[in-house]
Amino acid sequence: MLRLIGRRLLLMIPTLILVSILVFALAEVLPGDVGRTILGPYATQEQVEILNQQMGVDRPLYERYLSWAGGFVTGDWGESLLLKTAVFPTVMRALGNSLILAGFALVIIVPTSILIGVFAGLRRDSALDRTITVSTLSMTVIPEFVSGVILLYIFAVWLKWLPVTAMPPAGSNFFDRFYYLILPAIPLMFLELGYIARMARVGTVQVLAMPYIRTAVLKGLPRRRVIFGHVLRNAMVPTVTVIGSQVGWLIGGLVVIETLFVYPGIGKVMVDAAQYHDVVMLEASVLVVAVIYMIANLIADIVVALLNPRIRMGG
Amino acid sequence: MDEGRNPSRPDPDLAEEASWVDADPEMLEFRADADAGTDRRAQELTADVAAEQEQRRQRRYLMRALLRSPTFMTGLVIVIFWVLMGAFSWVFTQSPFSVDAMASLQAPSGSHWFGTDDLGRDVFARTMAGARTVLIIAPLATILALLWGGIIGLAAGFYRGITDEVIMRLVDVLLALPIIITSILILSLLGKSLAIVIVVIGALFTPVVSRTIRSAVIGEREREYVMAARLRGERSAFVMAREILPNITQPIIVEGTIRLGYAVFTAATLSFLGFGLVPPSPDWGLTIATERVFLQIAPWTVLFPAAALASLVVGVNLITDGLGRVFSK
Repeated sequence: MLRLIGRRLLLMIPTLILVSILVFALAEVLPGDVGRTILGPYATQEQVEILNQQMGVDRPLYERYLSWAGGFVTGDWGESLLLKTAVFPTVMRALGNSLILAGFALVIIVPTSILIGVFAGLRRDSALDRTITVSTLSMTVIPEFVSGVILLYIFAVWLKWLPVTAMPPAGSNFFDRFYYLILPAIPLMFLELGYIARMARVGTVQVLAMPYIRTAVLKGLPRRRVIFGHVLRNAMVPTVTVIGSQVGWLIGGLVVIETLFVYPGIGKVMVDAAQYHDVVMLEASVLVVAVIYMIANLIADIVVALLNPRIRMGG
Repeated sequence: MDEGRNPSRPDPDLAEEASWVDADPEMLEFRADADAGTDRRAQELTADVAAEQEQRRQRRYLMRALLRSPTFMTGLVIVIFWVLMGAFSWVFTQSPFSVDAMASLQAPSGSHWFGTDDLGRDVFARTMAGARTVLIIAPLATILALLWGGIIGLAAGFYRGITDEVIMRLVDVLLALPIIITSILILSLLGKSLAIVIVVIGALFTPVVSRTIRSAVIGEREREYVMAARLRGERSAFVMAREILPNITQPIIVEGTIRLGYAVFTAATLSFLGFGLVPPSPDWGLTIATERVFLQIAPWTVLFPAAALASLVVGVNLITDGLGRVFSK
């Protein structure tokens, strides 16, 4: 098990280096002459060259990449071109906000979608099953900002049950935050619901066909114990696997939801940096997201390995 | 019959036999029986004729099954509706661009079915016209992805070995970032235009498509007909394009419709985030982004485009679902 984790961690390094080269190349090479871009068409060539030298962009590419990557590793992430503040604390604060939202969303997503899926699987091929399958799938394919505005209208504008904003006013206590996060978390749940529920349903249907379920029923176990003791437990493995593969969608969803609800997370930071060409901030936030994405995938793989003895022993 | 498989090829011998087959299949069978050892090509051709009939029969069966599938038909009706709206809504609605400052943010009424937005533009006209941009971007991006992914997947699956290894590692790196993030990164640097959005979405979908096609090719490459073509001494490009490709159309079609759904999703999301189109385009994603500040006082400006976009995405996915079900039977 430890060897498996170690190997995966080692494998992350080359991928991360390639991704960082990609990000660096896209952000630094494509825009062309940086000094000219900043100073505009009316600056003299001399002025452009002076600025380029000051910013160090006249050095050879590999040198710039190494100093940028080195700075990234040591926590010196430079200064935002737009806000003129250090990038590191800004990105970290935003990341914290995003993790709270994502964690809260996951806490809602996983049990809800598993319960819905198992419920549909237990009533396989009934009208209810078909209704659940079609509606959860529709919720999943509808873009999160669409379900987001519709939910905002229903629960915040029309019924007034939930707040319109995603951040509580300053000075409110920690738990208030979650009340404000309910509305942003639901579209994220929709995004994942279809896949996870579908896997849970398929898992349930497969487990129900197993001989040991018949045995359990025939020996007179109450239905509740058959479902919770046998069905739920065995249907979990494929379900957890698919949750891991959904991390990328969750991150994409976060970017959109944070923009829709003006929530100060890393997605919002990234979109703003991209909109206003804040290259330093953009590079840092994209790279942080890449690292988080890889770590999340690794955790998902470890959980799957823990659930599946064949992988656990073999690794 | 596949045109590639006989008359169009510059092989006079084979072309002659082909016309002969068309004239009298029984005669061919007779001859094939007579010298079975020497004339394998003739046998192949008889097999071709039978295979072709079988194929045609199967295609008819699939069409009937699709026409009878409520999922597929519902999706098709929705998508056709929006295609018609995207193409012709200008003809019968008010102008989606004409501004009327005196009539801003009016509730739905007889003269404005869906109300008006902050600039007094007719929301009904804009909602109907909004189908256009997304229905230009998504299919074109999907076609690009199928084209590039098809070429890469065919090459990787057909040659295997080091080519396969290199291509698939590159694919892994491209997939190391969520698609929406890579596209934000690229679009913020390349600028906003319809063509760039199409190319970026197409390029980002290419790795996934090539993976699907690669595995389909791997399933086919050891089949007898591929062996036969190779033993005939066909060039690799010919075997890939004329022999393998026609046999993996089903997975390609299913992959295409799945990607189309994601392309609609991604295109709409990018314009919502402000990386796709610019005002005054009536694009749904863009409209939701710009009008959402009026959600509390004029919800119709946001809710109608949102419902329209939702219906299109669901429609495309119903088609995908229906196709997948019919094909997997």
